[in-house]
Amino acid sequence: MATDKTLSEGAPRPAGWSRTVNLINPLRAVWWLFTNVRFAIVLLAVLALVSLLGVVIPQVPSAMRGNSLAEDAWLSTKDDDFGALTDPMDAVGLFDVFHQGWFELLLAVTVASTGAYIISRFPGVWAAITKPRKRVPDRYFDLAPHRVRSETAVSPERLAAVLGSKRYRVEQMAEGDSVYIFADRFQWAQLGSLLTHAAVIVFILAAVVSRVDAFSSPLFLAENGTLPVFPVKNAEQMQVELADAYAEFAPNGQPLDYRADLIIYKRGDEVMRCSSTVNTPCKYDGYRFYQVAYFGYGAEVVVRDMATGNVVYRETLPLAERSPSPHIEVRDGDRLLLDETVLLTDNVDTTDGAYRAGLVRMEDGRALTLWQPEDGGELLVFEPSTGGEAIQVTLAEGESAESAGLTVAYTDTVDVPALLVEDFPLPEEAGSGAAGAAILQMNNVVYGNERISDGDGAVYAPPEGPPSLTLVGVDAQPVTLEPGDSAEVGGLEYTFEGSREFSGIDVRRDRSDILVWIGALCIVIGLMITFWVPRRRLWARISLRRDESGVMPALALAGQAPTHANFTRELADIARKAGANVNGMEDDD
Amino acid sequence: MTEGASTAGHSNGSRGFVRRVLYPVAVIVAIVAVVWWLESRDSGGSSPITGEEYGVRPLPEALAAATGGKVAAEEGALAPDFLLEAVGGGETRLSDFRGQPVILNFWATWCRPCRKEMPQLVAAYDRYREEGLVVVGLNLQEGRAVIEPFADEYGIEFPLLIDRDGEVGDEYRLLGLPTTFFIDGEGVIQSIYTGPLEDEVEGTAVQGAIGETELDRRIEEILGDG
Repeated sequence: MATDKTLSEGAPRPAGWSRTVNLINPLRAVWWLFTNVRFAIVLLAVLALVSLLGVVIPQVPSAMRGNSLAEDAWLSTKDDDFGALTDPMDAVGLFDVFHQGWFELLLAVTVASTGAYIISRFPGVWAAITKPRKRVPDRYFDLAPHRVRSETAVSPERLAAVLGSKRYRVEQMAEGDSVYIFADRFQWAQLGSLLTHAAVIVFILAAVVSRVDAFSSPLFLAENGTLPVFPVKNAEQMQVELADAYAEFAPNGQPLDYRADLIIYKRGDEVMRCSSTVNTPCKYDGYRFYQVAYFGYGAEVVVRDMATGNVVYRETLPLAERSPSPHIEVRDGDRLLLDETVLLTDNVDTTDGAYRAGLVRMEDGRALTLWQPEDGGELLVFEPSTGGEAIQVTLAEGESAESAGLTVAYTDTVDVPALLVEDFPLPEEAGSGAAGAAILQMNNVVYGNERISDGDGAVYAPPEGPPSLTLVGVDAQPVTLEPGDSAEVGGLEYTFEGSREFSGIDVRRDRSDILVWIGALCIVIGLMITFWVPRRRLWARISLRRDESGVMPALALAGQAPTHANFTRELADIARKAGANVNGMEDDD
Repeated sequence: MTEGASTAGHSNGSRGFVRRVLYPVAVIVAIVAVVWWLESRDSGGSSPITGEEYGVRPLPEALAAATGGKVAAEEGALAPDFLLEAVGGGETRLSDFRGQPVILNFWATWCRPCRKEMPQLVAAYDRYREEGLVVVGLNLQEGRAVIEPFADEYGIEFPLLIDRDGEVGDEYRLLGLPTTFFIDGEGVIQSIYTGPLEDEVEGTAVQGAIGETELDRRIEEILGDG
């Protein structure tokens, strides 16, 4: 990236002990190191390598960072992949590369090195632009990397005119029998290289700003629910309300579409309504609201104290647990008496073991009891009534059997969304005081399609009827409610408002965005200038006599240009247009 | 020639005036304008009656006698005074309740423990209002459109105030919601209740709700002193 002029061969060196002192001067040594091109290349190579490692090797999720228990648990899951290397890799920070002190040090040294390069080079580049050397020694016409000679005499004015037509700035100087011409164009393009280097600093600065200033707040919102962007309070506090969550899945479970309709409030006032998706977030006041997650099983429940009429509980609960429930079909010939997923809401302890049990009523009014061991297995289906023929069969999943003239089938097991709520409002007579544990189970709901959840299926065949919510623990028997239904138990009114969906919204602010754009602009403009702006500088000598050796050419052109330019050919072309007869070209390229 | 020189001198003088006086003044005015705009943007509004800014207000000297006049959001100190807009209209100053015991509850509708303890506060207000107890619900940075339906549904009859910019929350050094201050009739903070942090549950700094027994005990404490 850089060379050290102070220690190069051409630079004057102090003699004796003072030279030694200069060499071991730490500041001088650091300056030399930071402006050394080999050091810069090694630095960038190391930076690229560790960044690659940070991308290839799984990194600790940000939510777990800083939580040693969570980090240990996450790390233990990596043992299978990395085996004995896991601990050493963790010790050196390879599972959290971008947050290691040594990575930050590497970035800092890269910034310092790049900055030192720019500072060291700028005065020279600026001087070369503003105070170019207009007269070169005659020897240069024999040594320049790009040079052309011609024995043909040309008119200095004609050469100047040709150069002028090519947008060169031209100056003529007469010395004895010779005329010297200096011409250049687009010299400011030398700054392009510095601009490209400056972009490295801007990018790293952007990373620092992002690290220090970036803000991210994950919100898990239920439909109609509101959460603040900042915990508790902040001068920029906003609240986000999820007006509607939408998700659609293909029959194979592949997500087709996620969307969250949001309402954003600031200082108590609604400031925006928008739809947010994974790739097209809502944007407000420098913050972006990304849809990042979806959860389809939620139930909104309201509990009202009938004595006062006041609501004492209104929550939308995510039914994140699963309650395995048997799906049963009972047929009398072709007549379907029962086709239902039965919730096993009771626990029964017997000498044979513990069972989960449920009761369901068939179309003809007869009741069936289902027992299943707590750890799953065969399902016992029987009629509690006695007398006459009663159903009593034991079925494995997928089996069917005849009993009491009916065909009973245990078609499959359905994982019903459920949740144990520890502080659910309970009637006083439930014996748990004002609040206690209750289990909520929501049946007949399809994940991931609100239209079906709302009973308006379009993609799948919807289940029969609307979703239903069963409350276990609020009364002696489970209470099952359909959307809008209420049940009064012991002075409390329980209402199932309906199934609700949840959206994960990630609120982010990253003011380094603008720096990233500036850095990208610097790189693009710098490279465009470097490669496409035809920066040229040339010197010409037009001799009116031959020298003593008799070989002094009538015209000599020598010049400088970026290495990718074929400047020798351009010089020959200029010479020809000026009237010189150029037979051969000398080019050291 | 003299005229030309005079004209040039006048022109130079004008340029100097612009450079030395107008430019700096313009820059200062621009900075002041930006600062004013930012400040006015952060303001929690002002009283349409007195023109006072809503937020923390100095405690009237006549009321600052107790506890040596120390005003701070800590037990044993005088509760910092404030003036805030009320949800039902009008405005309320905390010091207006001097002489009555006050429960000052910081809450928000999004805070689940706040929702959980609100029926308890409603019931406590019903039980003790005859004894002079005042409950002040201080909502943090939400709007009437959100608060009013909530208040109707939960049957809240005590004053609900809005701290739009969180200034009062700052003064009371809130670390999370809900937080409840129990203030006696002298305006002295007798106790502060903050439940255990539940941020892992809600993703925000929320704390556990106060229990009914604990609430009653603390109310008796301020009623006794009051």
